[in-house]
Amino acid sequence: METDELLLNMGPVHPATHGVLRFKLRMDGEIIRDCEIVMGYLHRGTEKLGEMKTYLQFIPYTDRLDYLSAMPNNYAYVKAVEELADIEVPLRAEYIRVLTLELNRIINHLVFMGSLILDLGANTAIMWGFREREKALQLYEMLCGARMTFSYMRIGGVREDLPEGFIPKLNDFIKDMEKRIVDYEQLINGNEIFLLRMKNIGVINADEAINYGMTGPSLRGSGVNYDIRKLEPYSIYPDIDFKACVRKECDSYARYLVRMDEMKESLHILRQVADTMPAGDIITTQKYGIAPMTGAPSAVMTYFPRIFTPPVGEVYTRTEAPKGELGFYVVSDGTTKPYRVKIRSPSFCNLVALPKMIVGLKIPDLIAAFGTIDIVLGDVDR
Amino acid sequence: MIANAYELVVYILSAIGIYDPINGFFQNYGMEYLLRIIIIVVEIVVLLVFVLLTVMFLSWLERKMFAWVQSRYGPMITGPHGLFQPIADGIKLVGKEDIIPAGADRWIFTLAPFIIFVPALLVFIPLPFGDSLIISDLRIGLLYIIAISALSPVSILLAGWASNNKYSLMGAMRAVAQDISYTIPLALAAIAVVLYVGSLSTVDIVRAQEGTWFDIIPRWFIFVQPLAFILFLIASIAEMGRIPFDFQESEQELVAGFYTEYSGMKFAMYFLGEYAHMFAVSGVIVTVFLGGWTGPVLPFIPVQITSLVYFIIKTYAVIFFAMWLRDTVPRMRIDQLLNLGWKIMIPLALLNLLVTSFLLTAGVV
Amino acid sequence: MNAAEELKQAMPAAVVSTGMLIDKPLAIIKKEEILKAAGKVKEMGFDNLSVITGIDYRDRFEVIYNFFSYKKKENLVLKVVLDHEAPSVDSVASIWKVADWLERETYDLVGIKFTGHPNLVRILLPDGWNGHPLRKDYDMETEQFVTMGEDGEDIVSTDGSNLLRRR
Repeated sequence: METDELLLNMGPVHPATHGVLRFKLRMDGEIIRDCEIVMGYLHRGTEKLGEMKTYLQFIPYTDRLDYLSAMPNNYAYVKAVEELADIEVPLRAEYIRVLTLELNRIINHLVFMGSLILDLGANTAIMWGFREREKALQLYEMLCGARMTFSYMRIGGVREDLPEGFIPKLNDFIKDMEKRIVDYEQLINGNEIFLLRMKNIGVINADEAINYGMTGPSLRGSGVNYDIRKLEPYSIYPDIDFKACVRKECDSYARYLVRMDEMKESLHILRQVADTMPAGDIITTQKYGIAPMTGAPSAVMTYFPRIFTPPVGEVYTRTEAPKGELGFYVVSDGTTKPYRVKIRSPSFCNLVALPKMIVGLKIPDLIAAFGTIDIVLGDVDR
Repeated sequence: MIANAYELVVYILSAIGIYDPINGFFQNYGMEYLLRIIIIVVEIVVLLVFVLLTVMFLSWLERKMFAWVQSRYGPMITGPHGLFQPIADGIKLVGKEDIIPAGADRWIFTLAPFIIFVPALLVFIPLPFGDSLIISDLRIGLLYIIAISALSPVSILLAGWASNNKYSLMGAMRAVAQDISYTIPLALAAIAVVLYVGSLSTVDIVRAQEGTWFDIIPRWFIFVQPLAFILFLIASIAEMGRIPFDFQESEQELVAGFYTEYSGMKFAMYFLGEYAHMFAVSGVIVTVFLGGWTGPVLPFIPVQITSLVYFIIKTYAVIFFAMWLRDTVPRMRIDQLLNLGWKIMIPLALLNLLVTSFLLTAGVV
Repeated sequence: MNAAEELKQAMPAAVVSTGMLIDKPLAIIKKEEILKAAGKVKEMGFDNLSVITGIDYRDRFEVIYNFFSYKKKENLVLKVVLDHEAPSVDSVASIWKVADWLERETYDLVGIKFTGHPNLVRILLPDGWNGHPLRKDYDMETEQFVTMGEDGEDIVSTDGSNLLRRR
């Protein structure tokens, strides 16, 4: 019998593509023979916008890259500018930053877990995940008034100090979250069908994963013991006890487990940060900051100048965002606006490996493998 | 002994003393058959209304259960606890534009949603809702049920083909592949019970399950044929087309599978058909393995009422299980189901059949 | 001795100069030698190509490769300077698979041609887009309208004629 290859257009509007992404699949029945990824439907020209805005004005745009974890985006950008201008950040600001970063990692992984399990056809986990996410978002709301697009980081520090009663609420959240993670694992991990769908699906070994530019939890799922927080410690990570979560199996299930483990590690970090939060300034005063204004609402309130010119130079900084290596290449020509902002987004580079993972498998496996590399289209298309 | 619902109606009418006058009225014109037809039509209408109400209730229950599992409220606005949500949905769907895609095969596209409703309703004919509450006690009842249920993929194939959409077609092909692989273990598992009873009639199967062992354990076939029950249950859930076996729809893979292109009332037909099917299949499971309408006989209450209540309770227990499964379990992959069907379920069902027939021949049970 | 100097020692002909990019060793490579240098860099254990950045300096283009080694836990930055008229450089997609997309992106947004790339087409912007947005001389006044054709291809126009409903 003669059979034709079927050209299947998955997306740009499809329930499982997490936004507007398009797969051009050449199918032999249910088996994928070739996969081409078409993207750019959400391209907003963020890098060009970076050249149009002043250094401070660009911070809100970074929120919109990976909108599920805006805080690490903020952080990666301000870190790049701080390195460029050689700005020292006060210790308390660094603690608050790490607190928000790790909280955001939990949020990101909760959404990851929910949407992955939803993609596999089980509907409950996403609602459970969103229930806890809501609590974390309320913490953020206390902190900076926003729930998703925070714009909380400032060059040289953070925008506002922790509000009163934040740390107790955070501790409640941590306690609650510890129990919930056990719930999730009971719901998901032992499930026979879930294992059938995840194990040995989307296998990519360590060398290939590195060559295809995978980073973050997806790479750690392939057994590469690496974490930028460990390798190139930044902020206060050297002082904090945590470990990089690594799994050796290289398949979708390993990538899923790595993220579940990371949630626990993040809770561990949060607990340490909450316990040892130092007092002090929340934004730098030494170089560009101006001493506290008289009559300011809060004694620690200082102002970072809105128009600020870093010295001529260029810098590339890498941070460990929840989805992988988030880098900013910032070039300054000594004016008030960056000359060039290049965003190395983790979702974009992780997606390169997807066709490699799924050729020869079936559509349901594409969904499973795609779910475990955890992308956000705002981050892919920028 | 009242054999079926027709006789039950006649019995009730006689008991209150109006059957003979009415019958005499029709006899005057030589048209006794007309009364017979009227009674049967009334029965069928009652059944139809009952099924439709159940289906609406089920769609509400499904949402509510879903919400409870996910720590949400579910529908709350329309009526007490959102009880009228299905009606609101129905009104909304009727008001929607009925879109037929340009490339679709118009006739088949329009026909397919109605075809799916037919097998789901026909299954109820030999299904005993209670003692003597049965439209017709067919001598080949169980065979009829299995045969009619196997028709629903025809409708799915028609819908998938006529939609002229790749996702629909893939959903339809999956449905057909799946149908073959689960109908065989379903039938084989049922045959073991039939061997035991010696009859295909659903009423006979239920009657064989009356009574108890040691005054505690009911003589249900789930205890006699546990393996057959498990196989039958898995195959039935596959037949309902629900998670973990909802390949013909599989939202995250095929958008909505075979009904991707359907909208408005036609979509509602699939929606209703799914729940009607679910109710029917659960009823069959109860009849074959869970003792049907049997249960403790209560004094002063007619056995027809108690048996109906028992049947409904048991059916809802099975439905509850199916819904619970949907709330917690991910979807399998189609080839994994085919593997399960051909490599595990069919050999097990054959083995079960062999052992059963051996034991029966040897006179052990 | 950092990685950039090591590279200079191994390939003195290819490396124009070395330096530091804040804290990362930087080597400026001759445009013609980039593929060879990249091969050498890979041999030196830099298995991860982090990012490729293209920058338009009005009089020249620079392409910057950021490498990281998981084995040696080191950074290395390579820089290639291209002329402004017809910027093109050899593709390293044969060495790092991720370079495939990174180069396509740089081509798309900055307009640098990567010779030897297997499939150098636009990646983020629709095919047929006019201009490369991250060039400093990009015309930001002209609006461009994009629709999708029958077979999923992109149709771009500057007058909006493709937005009219076709039958």
